[in-house]
Amino acid sequence: MHRKVVIFSMILIFISTSLLGCTSKTEIYDLAMVMLVGIDKGEKNPNNIMVTVQIALPANARGSTGSPTGTGMGDPIWTSTGEGKSIFEAIRNIGRYSSRRLFWAHNHAIVISEEYARDIGITDVIDFFTRNNQLRMRTWVVVTPKKAKNLVATKTGLEVIPGQSLNKLFRYNEIIAEAPRTDMRILTAAYMSESSHPVLAKVDIKNRGVSADRPGEFGSTPQVELSGSAVFNRAKMVGWLDSKESRGLLCFIEGFNSAVIALKCPSDRSKPASVELKDSKFKVTPYYKNGKITFTIESTTYAELVELGCSTNYENPRILADLEEQLSAEMKSNIEGVIKKAQKDYKIDFLKLGETFNNRYPSEWKELRDEWKEIFPTIDITIKVDANVISPALLENPTRDVKD
Amino acid sequence: MKKEKITNGMILAIAVNLVYTKGIGVTQGIIARQVGNDMWIATALSILQGIILVWVTISIIRRIPQYNIIEQTEVMLGSLIAKLVAIVIFLFFVGAYATVLITYVYHIKDYFSPDSSILLPVVVGLIVGIYGTYKGIEVVSRFAIMGLMSILLFNVLIILGSLKDFDIKEILPIFTNGLGKNIEASIHYNTDWAMVTMVAAILYPLVNDQKTWFKSGVTGIVFGGLTVLIWPILETGVLSPEVTGQYIVSCMQLARAAEIGDFIHRYEMIMVALFSISLYVQIMVILYTASLTVAPVFKLKDIRPLIIPIGIILSAFGYWIIFNNVRAMTFLTYYWPPIAMSIAVGLPVLIFILGFFFKEKLQQTKANLPQEEQNI
Repeated sequence: MHRKVVIFSMILIFISTSLLGCTSKTEIYDLAMVMLVGIDKGEKNPNNIMVTVQIALPANARGSTGSPTGTGMGDPIWTSTGEGKSIFEAIRNIGRYSSRRLFWAHNHAIVISEEYARDIGITDVIDFFTRNNQLRMRTWVVVTPKKAKNLVATKTGLEVIPGQSLNKLFRYNEIIAEAPRTDMRILTAAYMSESSHPVLAKVDIKNRGVSADRPGEFGSTPQVELSGSAVFNRAKMVGWLDSKESRGLLCFIEGFNSAVIALKCPSDRSKPASVELKDSKFKVTPYYKNGKITFTIESTTYAELVELGCSTNYENPRILADLEEQLSAEMKSNIEGVIKKAQKDYKIDFLKLGETFNNRYPSEWKELRDEWKEIFPTIDITIKVDANVISPALLENPTRDVKD
Repeated sequence: MKKEKITNGMILAIAVNLVYTKGIGVTQGIIARQVGNDMWIATALSILQGIILVWVTISIIRRIPQYNIIEQTEVMLGSLIAKLVAIVIFLFFVGAYATVLITYVYHIKDYFSPDSSILLPVVVGLIVGIYGTYKGIEVVSRFAIMGLMSILLFNVLIILGSLKDFDIKEILPIFTNGLGKNIEASIHYNTDWAMVTMVAAILYPLVNDQKTWFKSGVTGIVFGGLTVLIWPILETGVLSPEVTGQYIVSCMQLARAAEIGDFIHRYEMIMVALFSISLYVQIMVILYTASLTVAPVFKLKDIRPLIIPIGIILSAFGYWIIFNNVRAMTFLTYYWPPIAMSIAVGLPVLIFILGFFFKEKLQQTKANLPQEEQNI
């Protein structure tokens, strides 16, 4: 009898404990998987927040990547907006139209409109999405000069789901290196930093796609472009960096080892030449002497010649030497450009120079940190660039027209 | 009840499991809020203090290797004082169990099952704890070895998934808060070592081969410390100290940020799967040790009648603490460190000193033990 009671109890405990996961269960077909979310100022009331969500329709999103609308049965996404006094209220209001519960775990990016970022600021966005237990810290956060809702609704890229296209744009962005790879982890760290300010990638809608139905109309379909950066002073956006300044910015905040730089042909400046960066080193060294802060920036890059658009009699060593000079000037101009924007235009340290100074002079930093905002625009920064074009890539001699 | 024996390897595994789960996340969040990027230094300082604590505890037990700290107190000061010491140690385990529940329940509730009642993981933990404790310390120890393997595997995964985002600038400069503040902050991780000290004070008489006790004790602390130390270093370098300090369970944020390529991300699922073993080991060990502590108060040789009532007491207090998030974090940050340190440092040091005054009495008791028991 006692043995039976023990066995019965054990079975009961096993069943009850193994079914505990069912208490919070949600069936997959009850979920609306958010792929992209846009944040705008409200349309009914400018003090409101408008949230736009791009939701995948799994039935239509089946099939191989590259097919324009999944199986061809309909759109692979469903886009909806909601407006409210807070982000949460706006999302809850989407529930009035959505037949499924919004599920954030697969969200690829948060798109914030410039208008929202400048007028309202991103504190609420950071707070709301870092409190969300479904969202990943790897979710990209971007700013668009247009309405975020338009970008979220745009079908872009090669993937069936546009949100995935934007995600892959970031994943392979390192090849062009024109925008910072800012995700929620990096944004939160920059926002909470003692001296640095956040920068976010810029995305825009450009008519660059060619429709299969209208092949004659080039640039007839809108596509999302990732290039440039949005600069913030604490929570509010203050301005933009263009693609070159953003490349200079990358040296300071995340580094890059791959980028294509367009230069001029050594023998004919009207013709193009391109080099591809293969490796780069970037060192920022602070100095503190007689109460004066200076920084020295040393940039060393290694590149390959990948394109020479002119027929030239020059030999490779001369070509590479000329390109090295051009590359050096280009890199210096990129770095100078972003420093000028930081020190003179925005007067904000988004280059992490305060952190770098703190790393080397911690006790001095304690005295200076409260005045860093005033000190930063006055700092002297010396830039040294060492550019090396180390390979003509496959060809022993330049491509020449021997008939000349 | 048959007296069980465990090996030095098993007690080492128990020690590592006891300091891991809370140490990597909840504790680091509290330390980050106090000393920022020096959190790894505070953790390292705590490991050194842990070595001293466990050395003192083992030194006490080695005086009569068959007797735990309560039984040795009885030899020195009589049964009444021994019962008082037992009650004090039991109260320590009541608090320690609540801190384990904070770690366990907030991981599950905040990240996986937000719609469930918090009573659910508490009851599940209690059932698993009671089951393990009934099976005995040897079974729990074997489970702890599995937990140790999971910890190692998980540490390898988190290193692989986080290293590419590691920024040494976040770690530098070191000692920005000075040595004093780091020692002050290290008290939070000391509370995790306190669990090891108290468990060691009760369980060491069950460990075979007393000649290697010091070695296994110190190895356990160094090994356990290193498995935890990697976390504040990664959390600072990857998340930044400010973000680490922002969260209650900061290790979950590191897990949510980790990924290997585009294939393995959302580590929190892997994390909970791997370190839940460790959590259940903590629950079982505390329940077992608390029962063993209370047994002499009721003059019981067998702890089995005590397991369920003690489990209910521990869970009830733990449930009350965790029911309110603010109460839980206030208890963990402000009330628990002085309580835990007073008991886990004060009691062993007091008994260690008393041992010199009652040396003869202890030696006499040891000599009167049967020969086979002396040769453990």
